[in-house]
Amino acid sequence: MATTTLEPRTATYRRSWVLDWLTTVDHKKIGILYIVNSFFFFFAAGILALLIRTELAVPGLQFVDADTYNQAFTMHGTIMLFLFIIPALSGFANYIVPLQLGAPDMAFPRINALSFWLLPLGGLLIFSGYLFGGAAAEGWTGYAPLTDDQFAPGVGTDLWIIGLTLVGTASILGAVNFIATIFKMRAPGMTLFRMPIFVWTVLVTAVLILLATPVLAAGLIALFIDRNYGGSFFDPTVGGNPILWQHIFWFFGHPEVYIVILPAMGVVSEILPVFSRKPLFGYKAFVFATIAIGLLSFSVWAHHMFTTGAVFLPFFSFMTALIGIPTGIKMFNWLGTLWRGKLLLTTAMLFAIGFLSMFLIGGISGVMLASPPIDFHVQDTYFVVAHLHYVFFGGSVFGVFAATYYWFPKMFGRKLNEPLGKVHFWIHFIGFNLAFFPMHQLGLSGMPRRISDYSPDAGWTILNMVSTVGAFMIAVSIIPFLINVIATFINGEPAGDDPWEGNTLEWATTSPPPPYNFDRLPPIHSERPLFFLTHGHGHAAERPDDLEEEGGHKPGDVERRDDDLV
Amino acid sequence: MQAHPAGEEHAPAAAIQHGGSGMPTALLGMLLFIASEVMFFGGLFATYFNARATTSGPWGPPEGAHELDIALAGALTAILVASSFTMQFGVWAIRRGDTGKLKMWTGITLILGVLFLLGQLYDYSQLGFGIADGVFGTTFYTLTGFHGAHVFGGAVGLTIILARTLRGQFSARNHVAVEAVSMYWHFVDVVWIAVFSTIYLLR
Amino acid sequence: MQGTMATSRLRRVLRIGAPLLLIGLLAGCLLPPEPKTEVGRDVFNLYVVVLILAAIVFVAVEGFIIYAVFRYRRKPGDDTLPVQLHGNTTVEIIWTLIPAVIVFILFAVSMVTLGDVEARSEEPGVIVNVEGFQWNWTFSYEDGPTVNAQGGEPPVLAVPVGEPVRVVLSSIDVNHAFYVPQFLIKRDLINLGENGRTNELEFTITEEGTYAGQCAEFCGTDHADMKFVVDAMPRAEYDEYIAALASGETPPPTGEGDCTTTIEIKANNTQFDIGEFEVPAETEFCIAFENQESVPHNVSIYDGGEALFTGSFLNEPGEIVYNVPALPAGDYRFICDAHPQAMVGDVTATE
Repeated sequence: MATTTLEPRTATYRRSWVLDWLTTVDHKKIGILYIVNSFFFFFAAGILALLIRTELAVPGLQFVDADTYNQAFTMHGTIMLFLFIIPALSGFANYIVPLQLGAPDMAFPRINALSFWLLPLGGLLIFSGYLFGGAAAEGWTGYAPLTDDQFAPGVGTDLWIIGLTLVGTASILGAVNFIATIFKMRAPGMTLFRMPIFVWTVLVTAVLILLATPVLAAGLIALFIDRNYGGSFFDPTVGGNPILWQHIFWFFGHPEVYIVILPAMGVVSEILPVFSRKPLFGYKAFVFATIAIGLLSFSVWAHHMFTTGAVFLPFFSFMTALIGIPTGIKMFNWLGTLWRGKLLLTTAMLFAIGFLSMFLIGGISGVMLASPPIDFHVQDTYFVVAHLHYVFFGGSVFGVFAATYYWFPKMFGRKLNEPLGKVHFWIHFIGFNLAFFPMHQLGLSGMPRRISDYSPDAGWTILNMVSTVGAFMIAVSIIPFLINVIATFINGEPAGDDPWEGNTLEWATTSPPPPYNFDRLPPIHSERPLFFLTHGHGHAAERPDDLEEEGGHKPGDVERRDDDLV
Repeated sequence: MQAHPAGEEHAPAAAIQHGGSGMPTALLGMLLFIASEVMFFGGLFATYFNARATTSGPWGPPEGAHELDIALAGALTAILVASSFTMQFGVWAIRRGDTGKLKMWTGITLILGVLFLLGQLYDYSQLGFGIADGVFGTTFYTLTGFHGAHVFGGAVGLTIILARTLRGQFSARNHVAVEAVSMYWHFVDVVWIAVFSTIYLLR
Repeated sequence: MQGTMATSRLRRVLRIGAPLLLIGLLAGCLLPPEPKTEVGRDVFNLYVVVLILAAIVFVAVEGFIIYAVFRYRRKPGDDTLPVQLHGNTTVEIIWTLIPAVIVFILFAVSMVTLGDVEARSEEPGVIVNVEGFQWNWTFSYEDGPTVNAQGGEPPVLAVPVGEPVRVVLSSIDVNHAFYVPQFLIKRDLINLGENGRTNELEFTITEEGTYAGQCAEFCGTDHADMKFVVDAMPRAEYDEYIAALASGETPPPTGEGDCTTTIEIKANNTQFDIGEFEVPAETEFCIAFENQESVPHNVSIYDGGEALFTGSFLNEPGEIVYNVPALPAGDYRFICDAHPQAMVGDVTATE
């Protein structure tokens, strides 16, 4: 058994810790940078959310004026989506995907670093609006003509445009990196259909980013030209078309929401099998469903525009309803994974199961919104706010926390404390539902979104108060989480290579892995190479995938890779 | 139970860089990047088509400005198309190991590219309308301007290739950068054909 | 093992109680307001159908999740593997087809209801041009008067009950949306300039009453304040109301008033150019008002909440001379009725 021993660092060559992290091109460090950076933005945008909820708790403007409120929800949405959720999931992908592929790093390590560093830069630019007369205040969707210089004269909106363009560029470069890595750097024996599901979701997400984000860039640049060079793209007073902005934005915006959710679905698909001690039910169906969702996501954008009177309703309603089918297939496959499993309810597993429940609700409200007549009533109300928070928060953010509890041991060599994690989960879960479930009712009874205040006669006060309490509960739940992280860093329980009896290759190396990731790889014959290693080829209950599905390849054929697409 | 050899090895580093079999990884990277650029131009084209379809008045340069100079644009098209050919000749040359020809063809391609840019700038100076002159002006300058920016980017790439060629860094077995830049250059050419057809021919 | 007795009782409770609780909750809330339009009734019915389907799916899936968490929990010390099920093609097909069927049904019933919502009658009872702007509304009845906000209150759209009302929606600046929650419909107001094509919405109100409406497309700073009221009344009452409006409109100035004292006020960028003025008490005077932008403005004078003078609106750039009746000595306010927060100032009538 050949092992490589690293010579200890000699005393004459010591690299500054700060410089190391600033200049690293190691995907593991970059992944951690992504995650840490995104949590900073999570807290910032979360404080904005608390501001919003505090103001809305009772009628009347008690704390802020309307303009400050409008900046708050604009920044909240923009930061949460572009600087928290997507980068956090990107960070986990960055760390884990090369490991799960058995690769030593990403395909383009230096571009990987560039992709990261553009993020804090873009984020700071977006926030810097506050220093220059006010941040952007037109909603994260930035509808023209409201974002035109005539109605949004400050430089805050320009900074928002530039910052977002940088963040988008970072995303696109990252997508190139992930696709190239996944196609070109898999370990011998790992055919595409032996890749972990998380890698599949990252692959489809990367394709979506690659194809959708540039359209946003085009739109943002067009808006910048309108604002600063007298352009006529969206300004109706000089022949432009406000609806064009909505088309361009949502052509990006809808794939964007799948970019947000798919990696979280991948995380859940990793965690459920491990803590059920069974494989993911219907791996191939799941892969095809993911691809179907990716394809369909480009055909539904105008369901955000039903009330404009400018879209062909039947087509977009149909395609939107259609996308519910592959999503349902995934849900059932997850349930099939739990069925007859032997479930261990670790914190990671709780967040994964919580994801299933919350995403179910978000998915249901989404199908309701696919119906134009129903949408006519609830569009631009708190019903939509409820829906988006159930899928973004109950879905993706739960996924981020699940990933944190699951992969923290691999990244830092120590397990987060389980009882404290459960405290975090339950306060978080209850707070989340308190905060967002009432919003369904608020929207149905007619409370529009993006309003800084409402009438005491509207009958919306009690539900708003409940929602605010829930929001503060979510904030409180972060405390045990932070204590857990800090305490674990100081004195946590050592994790070992494979604390969870995992299935995939990241658990086949040390925690944390050495810089080059692997000393040696186990043989790869299925999507659960480590499971094979632990439980053996001849286990009575196990059907090795390759014998069944690939027509009689023998286990010794590890070099064959007959699905080289490029 | 374990019938496989213990201690699987990684593919050697060179194999990873070249992706084992098939397209070299760097070239795949360029192809993917080009895909994103196609979508970026797609967005810009969408604004042009939408503007064209929803504008009620006549479509073209505003009152008092010159008509579009199709002859000049046609000449620029010919220059850019020719430069794609010369670029490809260069690629074929280095695949044969002919660094001398690579130098020549890259140099010619670069000159043609610069000519295109100068011609475009000259066209701009003669047109008599600007980006702020109505929907046509805005979409015209945005579409042609961003294309020109990409030609400039390609020219930078060509310059780097030329410099590296002069330093003898390419061989028949090792010239991924040339392939990548040529792919980008062909893309830039194809986009121009689309821009030219849409703005000058289709109207 | 002592765990099973407790868990099986718990399971029974959950299996019966949870669905009941959920259905109870859902029935009691998660409903739109009682619809006050005919088309709203169709939307409400569609919604109930969808909600029932949603509730069934929710109870089934959520129920299974909760069941699985208890039923399949790993017993401490149990180290054996469960059966390693990889999948089942038949099951995959079933749970692809069933959602597909549900989805197609939803789509079909939606399209039927959509037809009802988008139906237009030959002869609507009234056609009103609704113009939205930052942050108020102007209602112009076809062949009728124009209504603007008064005294800081939302403008009132009076309509006949029981007859089709058609609103023609346009914006003069950014996107807005016309929304009355109790009607269960909304539509955007979009400024399309010269290429303009306005949106239309048609509804028949089924019950007399006043209904609160609000802009439902974020339109800038005071989006939350952009409200209106729909007042549905019997046809006879409506005709009287409109006639009274039409005749009560401030007549254009004939120049007959005493303009010895003339105050000049200009409006631009949703601001007056002066913040205060002084006039002699007990004396008629004139206000030479110039609107410099394409946003509706006027000048009105208030004593507390009471309007002493209401000037007619200029919706386009232009000038008008108001003849203001004599004011007793004292302090008053002048405002623009469309922008009562942003455009306000002080009037002093001195002896």
